[in-house]
Amino acid sequence: MAERRTVLTMLWGLLAAAALALFARQVAAAWPDPAVAGMDGDLQRVILWYTVLPRAAVAILAGAALGLAGLLLQRVLRNPLAEPSTLGISAGAQLAMAVATLYAPAAMAWSQGAVAFAGGVLAVAIVMALTWRRGLEPVSVVLAGMMVALTCNAGSAALILANGDYLFSLFIWGGGSLVQQSWSPAVAIAPPLCFGVVAALLMLRPLSILGLDDASAKNLGLALNATRLLVVALAVWIATTVAAEVGVIGFVGLAAPALAMLSGARSLRQRLVAAPLIGAILLWLTDGLVQLAAGQGGERVPTGAATALLGGPLLLWLLPRLKMFEWPSLSRAAATARRSDTPGRVLLPVAIGTLTAAAVALLVGQRPEGWFVATGPLLSELWEWRVPRLALAAAAGGMLGAAGVVIQRMTGNPLASPEVLGVGSGAGAGLTAVILLDFTAGLGWQLAGSVAGAFLALLAILATAARSHFGPERLLLAGVAMSALFSAVFTAVISLGNAQSYILLRWLSGSTSGATMPQVWMAVVLLAATCLPLLAVSRWLDILPLGTGTARSLGLPLRCARLVLVSLTALITAGASMFVGPLSFIGLIAPHLARLCGLAGARHHLVGSILFGAAVMMVSDWLARMVAFPYQMPVGLFASLISGPYLVYLLGKGVSRHG
Amino acid sequence: MTTPITRRCLLASALLSAALPGRLRAAPQSVAVIDWGMLETTLALGVQPAAGTELVQFRQLVVEPELPETIADLGLRGTPNYELLGLVAPDLIVISNFYEYQRAALERVAPVLSLPVYEAGKPPYPLAEQAAVALGDALGRVQQAAALVDDTANFVAQCREILRPLAARPVFVVNLGDSRHFRAFGADSMAGDMLARLGLANAWTDPTSYSAAAPVGIEALARQPDAAIVVMAPLPPEVARTLVDNALWNALPAVRQGRVAVIDPVNHFGGLPSARRLARLLTDAASQWGRDG
Repeated sequence: MAERRTVLTMLWGLLAAAALALFARQVAAAWPDPAVAGMDGDLQRVILWYTVLPRAAVAILAGAALGLAGLLLQRVLRNPLAEPSTLGISAGAQLAMAVATLYAPAAMAWSQGAVAFAGGVLAVAIVMALTWRRGLEPVSVVLAGMMVALTCNAGSAALILANGDYLFSLFIWGGGSLVQQSWSPAVAIAPPLCFGVVAALLMLRPLSILGLDDASAKNLGLALNATRLLVVALAVWIATTVAAEVGVIGFVGLAAPALAMLSGARSLRQRLVAAPLIGAILLWLTDGLVQLAAGQGGERVPTGAATALLGGPLLLWLLPRLKMFEWPSLSRAAATARRSDTPGRVLLPVAIGTLTAAAVALLVGQRPEGWFVATGPLLSELWEWRVPRLALAAAAGGMLGAAGVVIQRMTGNPLASPEVLGVGSGAGAGLTAVILLDFTAGLGWQLAGSVAGAFLALLAILATAARSHFGPERLLLAGVAMSALFSAVFTAVISLGNAQSYILLRWLSGSTSGATMPQVWMAVVLLAATCLPLLAVSRWLDILPLGTGTARSLGLPLRCARLVLVSLTALITAGASMFVGPLSFIGLIAPHLARLCGLAGARHHLVGSILFGAAVMMVSDWLARMVAFPYQMPVGLFASLISGPYLVYLLGKGVSRHG
Repeated sequence: MTTPITRRCLLASALLSAALPGRLRAAPQSVAVIDWGMLETTLALGVQPAAGTELVQFRQLVVEPELPETIADLGLRGTPNYELLGLVAPDLIVISNFYEYQRAALERVAPVLSLPVYEAGKPPYPLAEQAAVALGDALGRVQQAAALVDDTANFVAQCREILRPLAARPVFVVNLGDSRHFRAFGADSMAGDMLARLGLANAWTDPTSYSAAAPVGIEALARQPDAAIVVMAPLPPEVARTLVDNALWNALPAVRQGRVAVIDPVNHFGGLPSARRLARLLTDAASQWGRDG
């Protein structure tokens, strides 16, 4: 063991040396040289002193700060998945800054850091308040955090879209760029970092106790909640300072503490030293590589996207090796949901509700003079616009609802969904590959690419999970890693700023605005062609959640069943994401809503979920058209604005906790 | 100087009008314009469009020509409100090559006229002239279009004359994204093309994608020490505040020697009216350096 630790320490030393070598190369390139034509020595010195050196300083300080923030959060929440971005802290800070820029510029001028801190605190407060009653159970916390982050991101994007030069802002926004022109970001990050390290070392004993379970901690006389909140506030301060100064940099806060543990830092004191150091090395090295790859025309990938590009695979590799706290199994809790004896009678009102949503969305609308209910000739004129987009939204929503049921039952995990497991993003990666090869590729080829991408993503996730006997928590984490990896690819392609970027941006935001009848027919055929077979094999979906052993003893052809289900799910998810984008989260909430109504048998669950998916998506589409009339928001964005808060609320209520 | 351009444009317009559907020959009563460059060109031809897109932003960023209050706002350029467009019921819809993907939906309302101005790697000014002529033809304003082309060309020639003392001076035209990044306008942008037409040199010689390069760190502006810098408004609020204290910005030779100007906003993807506005703003800014230096 000690030997292994030495080897790993040497590995970190080597990586640090590599980062240093890259830094030396940058310094050498910027060293004042009278031979360079036209540039006087003063300017060269300014460039060295105000861009090259502070950039290295910010990389090291921000990396260390994120490593420390991640370690503190993981410790007090007893959650190896906690970090500023999984808890929604970074996204909350960004949203707060966007809102302040638009509506309270004075606040931004006064202190960007304070605005970011307020947003981050609010985000983490929501996450903690909602999961408090569940004892801050890790997967709920991370899921609530992801939902808060998603809602905040959707909100920020909506603000940008509704207010102006959206493309330029999006390019810088998504990235997290470490480009520097002064020492002030470095100077701003240093105090919270130093304060954090000192405070953590002083609180070593309470922090160690907080890592135990609540009962032991209370027995040892610790004011549990006060300490916990204090440490969370400290971590939020550190993380939001980084977000305010350089933007969102994901994964460092997650990876650094995990890597510290894997590298043999056993005690908390060791980890408090190792995590910030490893974070610093990770970010410094990544930023060095980003600069190495940069051409004259600018950097190819912002550093924040690059960390996700490197961190995603790293996390996937780490997962089987990571020690997790044992929490009550999620699947066991889910099995106790209330079951209706007359599912047919439950489905009827659901169907009526869905039809009502369709009717409202078809008839009620706005024009410059105000609200109106369309009738007669006006309706027949509006009919040709409203019917295709509504039908497309409904079909896509239904597809996502079905995909959610299959994935949740196949994995025995009530929190899995095509969006959470990165299947939607996988479809996007396939689409990206197709349009990079030939950006004039038609809808058929785009769909083929998406299906292939979704299939491979889902297969990869399930295969990794099966081989390393993942519990539900790791499966979700693998999905998060997968999504982050793909979204880094998207950010990189979007920042190219060419024709492909625009196709990808449109796909990501998910818009039914240009819906045509051929598209509608394609979606309806796809829905029928995938859901009818699913209904036919609904017995599989009843048996699979019971576990492999039971399934085998009941004579289920496991391998064949899984392959069929995975293929169908990939087809459904890819098809739906073509029309409404990858981030709607309908695939997560529609199965939940159906189960809440007592639809427990697979067949009824499936039908109910399809209906709920269609209804929620139609309502989203209607809202997307109405909220900022005549300006139309993308439907995918609105669907996530609706489902995010709903799911957060659901988690707070404890959906799978009681029947 | 201007004659060959006009002749070429007229030829192009003859070709384009031959390709137009027959029913467009009678000037349409009501026009909807999706593309901002074509919206300003339509107004410059003396035609009042029935509908346009993102008019709130248009008034702030394009500024001239002024928009009449009666135009219906169709919402975002990327996803115009087709329902509203259907209610406006125009006879003709004008777009550019950026919005080709909307063609199928738009053609359900009215015939579509698509006039390209911005194509990767091509200087946009000649395309803007051709677009103005083709638009004048479609709207029954042939003479006004010819006058617009000639007036703009004459105005640019006058500006070039004013700037003769500064000939071949390299100039960066940039747009600041935040206090650390800018976007440079390359040769296939209207700003880059206009620099060349004014006898100045574009200091940004690297490849661009779709008219403006992806965000670049401000230190890249130091690469051409003798260049002047023109910053196109709008400036993000925190930039206006922090740029004064930015050591690197202040160390740039252009800033130290006063060869910096902030000009009013101009439509990045504009037509001839924006080109004219740009020529005026660039000439005002540059003649300032001429006097000082």
